[in-house]
Amino acid sequence: MASLTFDPTYTPHGATHGRQSVISRPGAVPRPVIAEVATILAGLGFGACIGLAVTAESWKQLEAPGGVAMFLGNLTGLAGTYLALIMVLLVSRVPVVERVLGQDKLLASHRRLAPWPISLIVAHALLLTFAYAEAARTGVWHQIGAFIRSYPDMLTATIALVVMVAIAVTSVYSIRRRLRRETWWAVHLFMYLALALAFAHEIALGPSFVGHPLTRFVWSVLWASTAGLVLVYRFGLPFFRTFRHRLEVVEVHPEGPGTVSVVCRGNHLDRLAVAGGQFLEWRFLTKGMWWQAHPFSLSARPRPPFLRITVKGIGDYSSAVARLRPGTRVAIEGPYGAFTTHARRHSKVALIAGGIGVTAIRSLLEDLPRNCDPVVILRASSTEELILGSEVAELVRHRKGRVHELVGSRSEVRIDRLSELVPDLRNRDVYVSGPEGFVDQIVATVLQLGVPKDSVHFEVYSL
Amino acid sequence: MRRAPAVVVASAAGLAGIVAMHAGSAPSVLGGAGPAAPASPSPTATNPPSTTGAATTAVGTSEQYGYGTLAVKVTVRGSRITDVSVARLQTAEQYSQSLAQQVIPLLRNEVLSAQSAHINGISGATYTSEAYAYSAQSALDLLGVK
Repeated sequence: MASLTFDPTYTPHGATHGRQSVISRPGAVPRPVIAEVATILAGLGFGACIGLAVTAESWKQLEAPGGVAMFLGNLTGLAGTYLALIMVLLVSRVPVVERVLGQDKLLASHRRLAPWPISLIVAHALLLTFAYAEAARTGVWHQIGAFIRSYPDMLTATIALVVMVAIAVTSVYSIRRRLRRETWWAVHLFMYLALALAFAHEIALGPSFVGHPLTRFVWSVLWASTAGLVLVYRFGLPFFRTFRHRLEVVEVHPEGPGTVSVVCRGNHLDRLAVAGGQFLEWRFLTKGMWWQAHPFSLSARPRPPFLRITVKGIGDYSSAVARLRPGTRVAIEGPYGAFTTHARRHSKVALIAGGIGVTAIRSLLEDLPRNCDPVVILRASSTEELILGSEVAELVRHRKGRVHELVGSRSEVRIDRLSELVPDLRNRDVYVSGPEGFVDQIVATVLQLGVPKDSVHFEVYSL
Repeated sequence: MRRAPAVVVASAAGLAGIVAMHAGSAPSVLGGAGPAAPASPSPTATNPPSTTGAATTAVGTSEQYGYGTLAVKVTVRGSRITDVSVARLQTAEQYSQSLAQQVIPLLRNEVLSAQSAHINGISGATYTSEAYAYSAQSALDLLGVK
């Protein structure tokens, strides 16, 4: 059970324990105001797009044959493309925003928003085809041909539309379920190409852009900046970190039934700014695994030159992790996550972990100051499944807190039990980590017990 | 979504901002029409005004109006518009071509009688009329008239 390389015992920050020193480099403090500013800017932009569509119209144009459809077609095009821009920004992993909202929340928002831009853009294509056909008094099919043959950049725009629809179709849950994750992911990446292909026709044909150099300029700057952010933060920074730290697996050892810890060795790990509770995307560069990146939280603060993650073997991939051979190189993205001590509003905390969720809690604990009296609740089906339990106990002891181990079958952690264990729950920040069902249930319970929403932080471990 | 009210308010503000900016700019070239597009079109194909006697001509910008491209040549004698002709007409398909050919003489008459590019336009040929008017206006701008 013990590691030959990684020494997870408690060490005051900066001190040296045996071969390793724990150096604390939690990274920049998140500024919540950035999320508010970003939201307001996004809203302003959306309203401006609607404004552009409305001000490009005149009553005369609306009265002409196909006029209303033309207006709606322009409106849906502007609104849909703007929302597509927001979609890209949501997953661009810009640090100042990601630090505040967390990659998991940003992804969830991305998924929730998705139906809107695709529906608007499809509506845009249908409406304008109809409108132009009406105005030219030809059939719809003939109009489609006319678009592609005679209008500038419409061929690429049509290709872009087809690609977008294909991506949308593969993302429908019932279809996505049947695809392998890598297949779905490879198709999804083509969205960048589709958006690039569609850009030219927007500038060349959009009534808000033709003859309006300032609007064209702003739109171009918006898209160029978005592309820049994606290149730098979505691709550039992860590449840079991977090559800078050059992680490789040194040891894989069991922690409990079906659970292993993977210790990696890397360069300049004292320069890796990561806060307890954060995760990275791990891409193990070995046969069968290199095309997938999976998120795993660090299960302890880095002890340069070593890092540790603890993985539960559910599904093919996680089982493959258990069979990793030392020397395997690793490509990383991140660190990501807002599940950190920075999110606190109170000085006291309650940490609630279900199963493998203990990994984030375990590393979060190391960031808490001495004597801060944390209450930790660990939930597992059996005592063997209480992985990292002894490490948690020691960390909590040094902070003058208490640990409650709730072991047993999957019975609910009922309201009265929770308020029994943590009577002053309302004066604490509550961190919940574990499988989805567990997190949903605990968060609902905690909110019912009167803890304000801003004081509840959660991290879902999807399987 | 917790921040929904902020988004809605910001959107309304963005919309109001654009509408306000638009209303405060140049009056519509088509007199009597609703809000039309502001800001002068970027000049593309232009000729320097030729000076033959007292008459000067200039070709306005090529206006792309969705169904095709139209550029108009304006002849001015002193401060009076004496002729308007089509320098360039390219349409996407047959219907636009015959429509343009039908309405262009009517638009020419409108410019000559209004003695400016602020014309009413021909209903049923809204985009063609707009392109004609914009192009004529840019030609007048080049000539330094009106």
